[in-house]
Parts: sequence; C-alpha cells; structure tokens
Amino acid sequence: MTVAIGFGVVAAIALLSAILVVRSPNLVHAVLWLGVTLIDTAVLYGMLGASFLAGVQVLLYVGGVVTLMVFGVMLTRRHDGLSVPAASGSPWRGALTAAVLFGVIAAAVMRSDLEHAPVAPTAGPPAVEALAASSQATTQAIGFELLSTHVLAFEVLSLLLLAAIIGAVVIARRRDHGALDQNARTEASS
Amino acid sequence: MTLSTSILLAAAMFSVGVYGLLTRRHAVAILLSVELMANAANLSFVAFSHFRGGATGQLFALFALAITVAEVAVGLALVLLLYRTYGDTRTDAAKELRG
Amino acid sequence: MSLPVGALPLEAAPIPAFVALFAPAVAALVLAAAPALRRRGAPASWVTLTASLLATAAAVTLLVTQLREGGSHVWMASWLQINGAGVGDFGVRLDGVSATMLLVVCVVATCVQVFSLGYMHDEKPPAFGRYFAYHALFLFSMNLLVLAPDLLQLFAGWELVGATSYLLIGFYYQKPSAGQAALKAFWITKLADMGFLMALMVLYKTTGTFRWDAAVTAATATTVSGLLFFAVVGKSAQFPLHIWLPDAMEGPTPVSALLHAATMVAAGVFLIVRANPLFAHAPATRDVMLLVGSGTALFAACLALVQTDIKKVLAYSTCSQLGYMVAALGAGSVFGGFFHLATHAFFKALLFLAAGSVIHAVHSNELADMGGLRRRMPVTATTFIIGAMSLAGIPGLAGFFSKDLVLASVEGRYGWVPFGALMATAFLTAFYMGRVVFLAFFGEARGHAGHAHESGGSLLVPLLVLTVPSVALGWVAAPLAHLSGATYELHLVGVVPILAASLGLGGFALAWVVYGRGTLVVSALAPLERLVATRAVNRVYEVGYRRVLLVVADVLGWIDRYLIDGLMNFLGWSAVAGGRALRRVQTGNAQDYVFAVVLGAIALAAWGLLP
Repeated sequence: MTVAIGFGVVAAIALLSAILVVRSPNLVHAVLWLGVTLIDTAVLYGMLGASFLAGVQVLLYVGGVVTLMVFGVMLTRRHDGLSVPAASGSPWRGALTAAVLFGVIAAAVMRSDLEHAPVAPTAGPPAVEALAASSQATTQAIGFELLSTHVLAFEVLSLLLLAAIIGAVVIARRRDHGALDQNARTEASS
Repeated sequence: MTLSTSILLAAAMFSVGVYGLLTRRHAVAILLSVELMANAANLSFVAFSHFRGGATGQLFALFALAITVAEVAVGLALVLLLYRTYGDTRTDAAKELRG
Repeated sequence: MSLPVGALPLEAAPIPAFVALFAPAVAALVLAAAPALRRRGAPASWVTLTASLLATAAAVTLLVTQLREGGSHVWMASWLQINGAGVGDFGVRLDGVSATMLLVVCVVATCVQVFSLGYMHDEKPPAFGRYFAYHALFLFSMNLLVLAPDLLQLFAGWELVGATSYLLIGFYYQKPSAGQAALKAFWITKLADMGFLMALMVLYKTTGTFRWDAAVTAATATTVSGLLFFAVVGKSAQFPLHIWLPDAMEGPTPVSALLHAATMVAAGVFLIVRANPLFAHAPATRDVMLLVGSGTALFAACLALVQTDIKKVLAYSTCSQLGYMVAALGAGSVFGGFFHLATHAFFKALLFLAAGSVIHAVHSNELADMGGLRRRMPVTATTFIIGAMSLAGIPGLAGFFSKDLVLASVEGRYGWVPFGALMATAFLTAFYMGRVVFLAFFGEARGHAGHAHESGGSLLVPLLVLTVPSVALGWVAAPLAHLSGATYELHLVGVVPILAASLGLGGFALAWVVYGRGTLVVSALAPLERLVATRAVNRVYEVGYRRVLLVVADVLGWIDRYLIDGLMNFLGWSAVAGGRALRRVQTGNAQDYVFAVVLGAIALAAWGLLP
C-alpha cells in the first residue's frame, strides 16, 4: 500500500517536472527542471529494482548531460539582453499531436495483456540464461550478459563514444586559424 | 504499480517531450525535450525488465543511455555551430532549405 | 488472284487499250516529273499532243475492232483483295459504248489541244507548259473513267477529272474570280460525289463487288441508282446543283470546250449508261431523272436567253442539253441519251471553240463587243452557224437526229409534261442560239469587232474537223445503235420530228426578227434578267451549305483549340500548379519536418491498432 503511494508520488513528480521542462520560459530553469526529472527517474529505477542503472543515470544524465546543457545555454546567450521567445508557432498543434500520440499508445497498452504475454527466449551460455531467467536482475547478471551476449555491441559502443567526442570537437571548433596563430605568436614573443 | 501503469507513465512523459519538441523554439530547449523522450523510453525498458524478468531490458536501457549522452554532446556542438552561423539559436532562423 | 466471272487477265488486253489509257498518263508523269521540260512551254505541248494522237489512233483501232467483232470483253487485275476475293479491280472494259465514248473523248481532246496551241500562244512558257500537263492528266483521267470495268475505277476517274477540272478552271489563278469559281465547282461536285461514295458502299454491302451487273434486289437497285443519280446531278450540272457550270467559264475557252461541254460533264450521263443494269430495275429513280432532266432543260434554256457573255450562253445551253440526255435516260431510252451525248460533244465543242476564235479576235466575251463578224471571220462564222443549227435541231444535221430520239422516248410520259418542256426548250434553244448568231456575226460591228481578223490555222483546223461529225454523225446512228446493243429506226416523217424541226426553224426566225437588226436588249425579257440577277439558287447554297460548313468548321476549331489543346494545356498547368502547391510543404523550418515525422509515427501506430 505504501509502496503504491510512493510510486504515485514519484510518478507525479516526474510528470510535473517534465511539464515544467517544456513550459518554462527561462531556459536555465528548464534545464534545472530536467535535472529534477532525471533524478526522479533514477529513484523510479531504484524502485523497479534497477539500482545499477539508477546510479548510472545519476552519473551520466544528471552529472553529465545537465552540465552540458547549462554550458550550451550559457555559450549561446544573446548579449544584447533580448530574450528568445520560448514557444514558436501555434502551441495547439503540438499539444494536439502529443495528446493523440498518448492516446494511441494508451490504447495499445490497454488493449494488450502485458502481464501475461509470452516471453521470447534469450540466447546465451546456460549459466547466463539461468541468471537471466531469474526474476531479479542483479548487477552481476547485467555484467555477465553485457560481456557475453552483447559484447560486440559493447565494443561498438565504445567506438561510438569516441566518434561522438571527435565529432563534437570537429563541429564546434573555431575556424579562424589566422587569429589563433597570431595570438600564439604574440604570446610567444612577449 | 503495475506494468501497464509504468508504461502509461512512460507514455505520458514521452508525449510531454513530443509537445516540447514541436513547440519550443530555442535549439537547446528542443534538445531538452529529446532528452525527456529518451528518458521515457528507458523507463519503459526498465519497467519491462522488472515486471517480466530478465536483464535484457536494463541492458537496452544502459546502451540507450550511453548513446543518448553521445547524441547530446554532438547535438550541443551543432547548437554552437548554429549560433555562430546565424547569430541566433532559434530553429526558424535556419530556413535555407525552404522550397 | 481470282478474277470475276467472264474477266480475262489484264496482260491479255489488246495493246491499243493500254495505249489509250497510258499514253496520256505517261505524258502527264513526264511533265510532272520534269519541271524544266514543262517550263519551256512548247515541248510540253508536243508531249501532250503526241500522247493524245496516239490515244486517238488507239481509239480508232479499238472501235474498228469492236465494229468487226462486237461483244464485250473485260480485262482486269485485282489490286485489292478482301477475304481472297478481288474487290478492287483495275482494268479495261471494251464494248460498243466504251469504244464509242473513247473515240469521242480522244477526238475532241486532240482538237482542243491543237486549238490551244494557237489560243494559248500568248501565255508565258511556264503557264503554257502547265496547261498542257493538266490536259494530259485530264485525258488520262477521262480514259480511266470510260474504260472502267467496275464502279470503283470509274469513281477514281470521276474524282480525278473533278480535280483536273479544278486545276483548269483556276488556271488563271492570279484572278480571284477564277480561284473562287474553281473552288465552287469543286465543292458542289464534291457534295454530289458523296452520293457516289454512298452508292459504292451500299453496293458493296449488298453484293460484295463494285460491278454494276451484279444481281441486286429492286430496293438495292433503287437506292444505289438514286445515290448515283445524285452524283450525276452534280457532275452534269442538273438543277439544283447546276450553279458551278456558268462560273466554270472562268477557265480558258478550250477547257470549257473540252471539260464543260463535251466530256467531263457528260461523264455523269455516261455513268448512267454504263450502270444501266442498276437503273433498269429502278423505275422510281428513272422517273425522278425524267422530271429533273426535263425541268433543268427548260430552266437552263430560259436563263440562256438573257446572258450577255457568249460563253455563259453556251454554258447554260450545255446544262440544258444535259437535261435532255438525263430525261431520255429517265424515260428508259439508253441509246437516246448516249446518242445525244455523242452528237452534243461534237457540236458543243465546235461552238465553244468557234466562240474561242471570236473571243481571241475581239478580246472580249461580251456579245456587246461583237457584230458583223461573218465578213471578217468567215470560217469561224460558218462553222459556228453550222454548230448552232445542229444544236437547234435543224433537219439533216446530227443534232436533229439525236434530239428526235430523245423526244420520241419521252412521248406520253407523265401527262406529256416532260415532252412539252423539251419541246419548249427546243424552241428556246433555237431562239437563243439565233440571238447569239445574229448579234455576233450579223449587223454592224461594235467596238473591237471592227478590227477583228480571221484566226490562224491552228484555231481553224479543229473547227473544221469538228464540223464533220456535227453534220454527219446523225447518219451513222444505226451502226452506232447496233454497237450499243440497241435498235434504231430512222423516222424522218412523223409528228415529233416535224414539230421539232419547225420549232427549231421558228426559233431561228424569231431570233432574226428580234435581234437581226442589231438590237441588243429586249424589254420583254427584262423580268427574266431580273430573276437571273437575284442569283436565287446561289443564295440557297450560300446559306444552306457554305454557312453551315463554316459553322461546323468553327465548332470543330473551337473544340480543337479549347478542348483538345485545352486538355494538354491543362495537364501542363496542373503539373506546374501541383508542384507549386507541394512546394509549400517545404517550409525550411526543421520543426515542421519533425511534426510530419511524428504524424507519420502516429499513423503507423494507429494502423497497428486496427483490428
């Protein structure tokens, strides 16, 4: 019973902060509300038995992504003090679409019997399978499966991250080499 | 808390993210909405994993998380470029592809 | 290749038949293909004249053979086969009728061409050459028609002579009136030719061939003969399709002599003679022919009374005499019509050529510019007067015999009305010809006539040649009839011939009384002149035919411009407009594109939800 209330509260906070993310006129506020939403989701993960994931969420999302966002907002702030109008076009178009989308997914959920649908068999070494088949997925189980069944994806992911880093650097670097060299020479001579 | 409820919560957060995606004009704000949507998807993965057993759901969420982080990095780099090119972060500033 | 019953292969045809048919064709081809030769002028005339002389010689040979052996022979080759049966045949049919007609055509054509050597002498060489090229084409077309073994080839010749007529009427193409006359002739005869075409279709549908001696029911015979007669009304200038013939006088006078007196307009009569098996079974058509023919004869004779242009008088006279022929055929006398055709060809050609001689001398067509020419142009005058007497039916001359035969055949029909009409016409014919004779050759010379002198040899020789049959043809009626498979009795004494002769003489006498002393205008005829001036029949065609055609053309033009072209323009416009509309989708705003993606995703999900 208390569990249910707890779930309800957490879920409410998640939704509320999500709405505030998309409705705050002030961009920094929006970023901060996103942080709240992400932390709240981490709490949900914990309640759903994914403690490892909850930790990763806080680390990466809240610590990394939110920080990145703040930097992004700061770097692209207009210096003339004028603020960017927050919403574009007609908000009704977006609201209607979002509502319809939610309706469609809800209809699908309602129509199907999610609890009792058959489970697809997983492939892998018997030890992993036994662990995987257990009702509780522990961090150990995740680790095992990560490095056995999904090892290829794991390695490729590291490559992806490398590519992302390089790409971000390349896209965002300044192109006025002349000025930089000039500065470097000026600094070197002084 | 049942599986259906969790999925509905995830669907709701996803829809909110869609609303933000379609409505907000600032490029960073759009990225925030995308973040929300990814987060909702992850939530549904974890919910399935918890209620149906198996580690696959959490693994997918893990991967998705990592990929989303990479995507945010590149996305912000693009926002910086956008700002530098147009002097403005509003998405309707970049209309060169208008037919 | 299967030939119809009784036909022999074309290769076995006698050489003269080929010569008659192809010599003018070769001449025409040579002149068409060698513009350099044609434009030199005189060489073209030699080519055509040679071909015509060859054809005439061939015609003589054929006639002699026919007189000796008799019978009818057909040589054919199929050029169109349907279901293995020959439908379109090209070939030659030789019998008494075609041999006679061939000779008539070739003799008159040769005389006209010789006459043209002198008459058209003043033309520039390119025009001179063009003239003779057309003559060669005409002779070939007419021979094709005369020797045709079936109606399809006859139709080919029919259309070709029509085309040649158009070319020759419009010979002086720089004159707008000549072009208009040519076009008018073409359009009126084309209207009539639709009848021929439909007749061919009906004939083929019911009998499967185009031959006129196929077995047909009375109904088919009536339909086909009726449609063929409609074509004849146009070609032979019967009322109401006669209006093109007076206008056709815009062409050179030798052309008028050949085409619009002797041969082309007679082709209609020839068609009826040929297709007699069909007409024999169609009494209804024949009755119509009788009435139309006699009516036209009288009508045209009245109009000839008030013409001031000598050629127009002769034109209306031709129309009237063709009415005689049609009436005779309608009354059932095939030989009567055919005999009159033959005599008329000679004396009318003679009259036209003599008129041409006069025109050449006084440089005018109008009777008002002539007078007293018998003293200055004795040969022309004599031959013209002989021709006029033959036409009027003065006893002893050819016209008398043929006219007599026609009158005898219409005796007693339809309450003597056609007979009365034809008798009255005989009187009027003599009267108007007398008028021309006395106004042109007697009395005081008016205008240029005072300086006229007799024409040269090339103009006079044909006149003399043509005088012979105009006088003598009547006496060979019996053998001619025998050739055509009819019998002929000569009766010089009887009510009809005496009455006709006296009417002829009386007409001349009255003409002498009225015009002999030189008066040009007669007040009694003034109402008739006013009637002619109204051009009533022409007006009918103006409104009913030409205007209708123009309206139809306008409608079709509108459909072409706005519907057919409009459809194409619309397709083009819609492509551009569609593109322009679709372009508005590309706003350039990335969020709009995302919106589209989301919509698509929703649509897919919803589709998945469908039961």
